[in-house]
Amino acid sequence: MLGELEQIVLLAVLRVGDAAYGVPVHDEIVRLAQRDLTLGTVYKTLSRLEEKGFVRSYEGDPTPQRGGRRTRCFAVTNTGRKSLESSLATLRRMAVGLDVGLEPT
Amino acid sequence: MSRPAPFPFRLLERFLPSSTADAVVGDLIERQVTGVRLWRETLVAIWHLRDRAPKEVELMSSFVSDLRLAARLLARAPTFTAAAVLTLGIAIGATAAIFSVANPVLVQPLPYRNADRVMVVWERERDGSRSTVGFATIRDYADRTTTFESTAALGDWQPTVSEGTEPERLQGLRVSSTYFRTLGVQPALGRDFRADEDVPGAQRVVIISHALWQRRFGGDPSIIGKPISIGGTPMPIVGVMPEGFDDVTTPGAQIWRVLGYAVTDPYGCRTCRHLRMIARLKPGVTVERAQSELTKVHKALVVEHPADYGSPDALVAPLQKEVTLPYRPALLALGVAVALMLVIAIANMTNLQLARIVRRGEEFAIRTALGASAPRLARQLLTEAMLIGVLGGLAGLAVAWAAIPALVRQLPPQLPRLGAIHLDLAALGVIGAIVVVLTVVVGLAPRRGRRVSNIADGLRAGRRLTGTPQSAVRAGLVVAELAFALMLLVGAGLLARSVIRLLDVDKGFDASHLLTLEFNAVGPRYATNEDVFAYHDKVRDAVGSLPGVLSVAVVNQLPLGGNIDMYGVEAQDKPESDPTKVPSADRYVVSADYLSTMRIRVVQGRAFTAAEERDTVNRVALVSQALAARLWPGESAIGKRIRLGGSERPFRTVIGVTGNVHHAGLDATQLKQFYVPERQWFFSDDQEMLVVRTQGNPTALAAAVRRTIQQIDPAQPIVKVAAMEEVVAASTAQRRLALTLFTCFALAALLLAVAGIYGVLAGNVAERTREIGLRSALGATPGNILRLVMGQGARLAVVGLAVGLFGAFALTRSLRALLFGVGPNDPVTIAVATGLLLAAALAACLVPAVRAIRVDPSQAFRSD
Repeated sequence: MLGELEQIVLLAVLRVGDAAYGVPVHDEIVRLAQRDLTLGTVYKTLSRLEEKGFVRSYEGDPTPQRGGRRTRCFAVTNTGRKSLESSLATLRRMAVGLDVGLEPT
Repeated sequence: MSRPAPFPFRLLERFLPSSTADAVVGDLIERQVTGVRLWRETLVAIWHLRDRAPKEVELMSSFVSDLRLAARLLARAPTFTAAAVLTLGIAIGATAAIFSVANPVLVQPLPYRNADRVMVVWERERDGSRSTVGFATIRDYADRTTTFESTAALGDWQPTVSEGTEPERLQGLRVSSTYFRTLGVQPALGRDFRADEDVPGAQRVVIISHALWQRRFGGDPSIIGKPISIGGTPMPIVGVMPEGFDDVTTPGAQIWRVLGYAVTDPYGCRTCRHLRMIARLKPGVTVERAQSELTKVHKALVVEHPADYGSPDALVAPLQKEVTLPYRPALLALGVAVALMLVIAIANMTNLQLARIVRRGEEFAIRTALGASAPRLARQLLTEAMLIGVLGGLAGLAVAWAAIPALVRQLPPQLPRLGAIHLDLAALGVIGAIVVVLTVVVGLAPRRGRRVSNIADGLRAGRRLTGTPQSAVRAGLVVAELAFALMLLVGAGLLARSVIRLLDVDKGFDASHLLTLEFNAVGPRYATNEDVFAYHDKVRDAVGSLPGVLSVAVVNQLPLGGNIDMYGVEAQDKPESDPTKVPSADRYVVSADYLSTMRIRVVQGRAFTAAEERDTVNRVALVSQALAARLWPGESAIGKRIRLGGSERPFRTVIGVTGNVHHAGLDATQLKQFYVPERQWFFSDDQEMLVVRTQGNPTALAAAVRRTIQQIDPAQPIVKVAAMEEVVAASTAQRRLALTLFTCFALAALLLAVAGIYGVLAGNVAERTREIGLRSALGATPGNILRLVMGQGARLAVVGLAVGLFGAFALTRSLRALLFGVGPNDPVTIAVATGLLLAAALAACLVPAVRAIRVDPSQAFRSD
């Protein structure tokens, strides 16, 4: 079972797709989750997810806008995707018959 | 982006692992985060993502992981590890072994009560040499001085224990009743001697050693009062000395009896100088004060008895210093040699470790990049050095444990405190101290050459064109190794030349095919001189008839056998008014065929005839060339008349002159000797040497000769059975031992120094691959490159050898006492040692030089 923050971060990485590094992932979270997370929190969560094998990371290319520093890009692994699916499915099952805004459409 | 990074970024880079820092800082720059927001981001990022490297509180667990890493690294380089542990083990073990010998002999106080107050007293001759003392003089020294608490006389005594099945000759002493009190020991069982036993005619009582009590009497607790049969005379045992008591005045002494002299005895006179004297200083009295008082007493005695004293002075010296005097130079020289070898081994180890660190530059750079701090890396290096040091120390312990018993067997048996030499706590402490020094030197040396914190440059350093600053340290170490190695080589060379010169010396006799042994004639069966001589004749006849025996002779002492038995010789035609100017000569009391059996040359006149052997009226003698030249310079000695052993003795005729024999040692300068038929001497000797010239291997006949003598009288012990060549070899044993050890140390030092110079050059060539490639790309010929590398090696070698020459001059001074026939600055030895080391060093340089020539420029630049 994933924590809420982990679910949010995983979903954000999936939404960004290719080259999901700190800035776009953070943007998605701010935009959709409407939470003012710091980059440090995001990276911390990502590194925890990486330890669990739900994401993997690789170094991206440095760009001039980044002062020549490399990005750290993340991608959701198959395990991560399955874990997310089962986590969300559980929520959905638990919500059946209740009026909590998670009814199946 | 060229403006300096804002402070928060620097903090992030300081506290975050570098790849994480890149990601976070990059993101912050890309989003152009500033102000409070930036600080918030920074602090949260550091809080969540900081480097989890060990803190000081986790030092212990970091030590364990350091140790694990060090062990893994050593296991991965088995050749390096084996070489390091082996060289360190040998150097540390040798140091501990030499220390274990030198410590009890030279340093530790003797195991007696207030041993620093026990002195030896000698008469001092005009030439400064020490001389034994007459009994009457000892009495006067004791009575007229106030600085001594007690004094005692001691004389050599070698009794034969004749009871039981196997007769045995013992080393013993005849001593004053105050002897043990003066030394500062007392019997463990029974009692000490009493003053009323130390007078002429008193019952003869003995005290025995713990070892003799165990061996001959099975540790019988009721031994006190029981007699021990000495040469047929029963003497009651009144005491047993404690276990481990070692009489340093006479190593190996096992039995003591009272002296029982009176000044009125014929052997108690002032000129009967055959006794030694010990004295215990009163508390608080200095040696100097005792010396000045004794000098006054002696000068007064010289005035009172001018005819009796040739010595102008007396000498007081600490017992420990006196008994170790002959061994001090060799032990000190060996101590210096082994210390030099140890320093070379440590320098070599430091060099190897520095070389390894250069090669591991990339590893350190990566570890730094991954967040290892500078102190963390320094600790890692220290831990590695400690592990190497401890392994080397353990190997050294094993070497010392094996070497000490082997060394003790090789040491001269007369060495005082021989029994106290073993691997003790002090030696373990020395090994521990060496390991600590080694750890600190090897572990901290890298910080000198290049600070560990800058090892982050490691990746870049691989690309640099020229050598690192570390090579200066490594070069310095190699120079020191070469210098010390040269010192040791010169020392070994001088000793080798001395031993060769010694063995080349014309001994004056032919030692090959000679069997020698000592046999006795003591007990009631030998009451008169004639009984003894008849026994000698029987032994000679019986042994002479054995197959394989060419000739047999009897003599009172063997050349090079370690005896000193000298008598004054006066010529009738050259009367000497000053008794101190009468020359002394080695006394040989012989059977007629002694000279022919030993093959001692008769250079003038003739040898004894068989008739002269039994003739007690027409007294004759032969003298050595040295004695003839001293008494009658420029004249023939034949027909001259001499008197031996004092004015009461008769004159005898010199019938021949013999070649000089080396008696006191192959390096002896005293070569004056006389030969007299045994029936013409005024007493018979208890102990006699038999010399047997054999057809074949002399030791093959030993058992038959021994059996033959025992059949004549089974009660007489037969000892010191040896080929004459063994006797000669034993007389050079101390020098040869010093030579063997010195050579081993010097060869080890040579190997280490050569390995050191090779390591530095090889490392240097590897570091400069690009430079060398660049040079050959720009047109340098192989010859140029060879000269470049060889020149560097040659510079190191020349500097090392130059420094070493100065060191060698200092070292060989301490060897002077062991040298024979060569000066301490012998140019041949120094030239050979220097040439050898230079050749070995240049040969070692050749390998990296050839490797440098083979550098392919295109490869050199691609290697990055």
